[in-house]
Amino acid sequence: MQVFVDRTGGRRVAARLVSWTVASGLIVFAAVVGGTLLGAW
Amino acid sequence: MKRTPRLHWISILLGLLVLMCVVSFHAYAAIRPEPVRHAGERHELPDGTLALAFHGGPDPKWTPRTLERLRAAGVKATFYVTGAQVTRHPDVARQVVAEGHRIGIDGFRAEGDLADPLNLALAQAALADALGVHTRLVGAPEEVDSGDREHQDMGTLVRMSLRERKGVIRLHDNGSIGGDIVRELAKEPGYRFALVSDEIPVEASSRERFTGAVTTWSQRNGGLVLALFGTAIGIAALLGLLRTLMQLGLAHTDRRLRREGAQEPPPWFAPPVSVVVPAFNEALNIAATVRSIAANDHLADVEVIVVDDGSTDGTAEVAQGLDLPGVTVIRQSNQGKPAALNAGVRAASHDVLVLVDGDTIFEPGTVGQLVQPFADSGVGAVSGNAKVGNRQGLLGRWQHLEYCAGSNLDRQILHALRCIPTVPGAVGAFRREALADVGGVSDDTLAEDTDLTMAVTRAGWRVAYRPEAKAWTEAPVTVQGLFRQRYRWSYGTFQAMWKHRRALVERGPMGRFGILYLLAFHLLLPLLAPVMDLFVLYGFLVADAPLALIVWTVFLLIQTASAGYALRLDGESLKPLWAYPLQQVVYRQLMYVVVIQSLITALHGTQLRWMSVRRTGRLLDAPGGTVPVT
Repeated sequence: MQVFVDRTGGRRVAARLVSWTVASGLIVFAAVVGGTLLGAW
Repeated sequence: MKRTPRLHWISILLGLLVLMCVVSFHAYAAIRPEPVRHAGERHELPDGTLALAFHGGPDPKWTPRTLERLRAAGVKATFYVTGAQVTRHPDVARQVVAEGHRIGIDGFRAEGDLADPLNLALAQAALADALGVHTRLVGAPEEVDSGDREHQDMGTLVRMSLRERKGVIRLHDNGSIGGDIVRELAKEPGYRFALVSDEIPVEASSRERFTGAVTTWSQRNGGLVLALFGTAIGIAALLGLLRTLMQLGLAHTDRRLRREGAQEPPPWFAPPVSVVVPAFNEALNIAATVRSIAANDHLADVEVIVVDDGSTDGTAEVAQGLDLPGVTVIRQSNQGKPAALNAGVRAASHDVLVLVDGDTIFEPGTVGQLVQPFADSGVGAVSGNAKVGNRQGLLGRWQHLEYCAGSNLDRQILHALRCIPTVPGAVGAFRREALADVGGVSDDTLAEDTDLTMAVTRAGWRVAYRPEAKAWTEAPVTVQGLFRQRYRWSYGTFQAMWKHRRALVERGPMGRFGILYLLAFHLLLPLLAPVMDLFVLYGFLVADAPLALIVWTVFLLIQTASAGYALRLDGESLKPLWAYPLQQVVYRQLMYVVVIQSLITALHGTQLRWMSVRRTGRLLDAPGGTVPVT
């Protein structure tokens, strides 16, 4: 088994969850702020 | 190969964009353009009615004093504020509203800074955050100037304010005199005071409040983000400088020691050698590789063992078809490079083992040079000097420069520190005893060469570098191929570093220098360096463009000079240096991507498999020119 490899799959699930949360949070954040300012513009 | 993680790139790119916006907004809000008086429509008021309109605030010192005067006179006024100033002093703005005065907007950064609707939106967002309101009072109507910017004499100021006996009086609350004028006007008989508008500000929408919170945070903390950027850049610059100094100092020392050694050379060491060539789908290159090894001028026996690791392109047949003396071909099902190497080592009959990739060309003297350090019984492994054999095109030149200015120079430094972490798969030699000590080649990592070298060093063997032992290897010819190769190297190196992390607390050079060197220059520096590029971009677009250009040029010159020195040390022409500046804006960023992707893959725990790189079999820059395919 290679170094770093997730044996149980739990780490991958957690990492994906974090990835999705951060990415979607940032997308919503950018959309709201950008949308408000661009809308006004 | 399981699908490698990609989603983080959206987060990283968006995160960087957000950070860039934060620092840019911070810089934008700090600029104060010349105020421009708003040419508003006339607001008809009855005779003897005055509406006081204050501008320039909120000001932490003078606005409270103005409010005090208004309170004492029992007068309500309208304060035309700027959004940036409200963000700086929200408490003062709240006090204005709390005392029953109206709030209007003069602009975002200065009076009149609302010609662009975006600035008006930013000013409204600032109000929304500080006061929770959205005002329709945008820009003052036509005003009677009190003259409080030009005159000091109170009699003159009062006369000017009352010259029309009615109207909106223009005053300022960012100075002492505005409040004093109010006090005097309140004493004038026959006048009453009104607000510019009776319209009450409406509650701000939740979106406007959120945007306001973000812009306020950006305006206030952009400096902090900038300071963090600056710290990261400082560390990156220090690391870069340290590496350059080490390169120049240690590489020079290493060369000097070699020159001194060459004046009194030790007796030529000529042990019998087994060369192990693991190969998977190397039909295009294997013939040239084996021929070049077989053509060695070593003074003792050299056997060549080609281990075909389940190739599907006829690699074994090509090698066998050469029918060269001393060349043995072993076939096995596809089990990976470490297994192929171990099979070759088991079949080898000599104690000095040269391990070489199936896409590499040896010079006639390479084998002989490579084994010289084994004259010292403490040396367990020797790294040769891998050179790019296909330097045509920008990608080939860039890799050639990187091999010389990066890998080989690094190796000289690390040789001087006695902690070379990688004997490259392209050209390296091991003592059988050292290999036995570490249990052979492990498949724990994708960088089996780094893993093996670290293990050998930790086992107490010395690893030497022999720059005269040159081997010419085929570098990837496409960006995708380069990415795949470097992804594997980088990820494999991280795996090896993690596997051998205990070396950090062990006695010996590997922990003290080797892993720390890799951590600093192969992990931390590539992670911090993009911030530097971002900062330069920020400098060009937002801040001081000439200064950014100077800083960037100085760094580029230092790096180019360092690369030139590396080429000289390696006995190479300086001609390819012209491609070096271009390398800084494309190739370097690709390397960051590789490091970040490797780190994220490690965090995800994804199982990566060997990623093969497409071969062309054209090593035009290797000795002998075009390599015959069969």
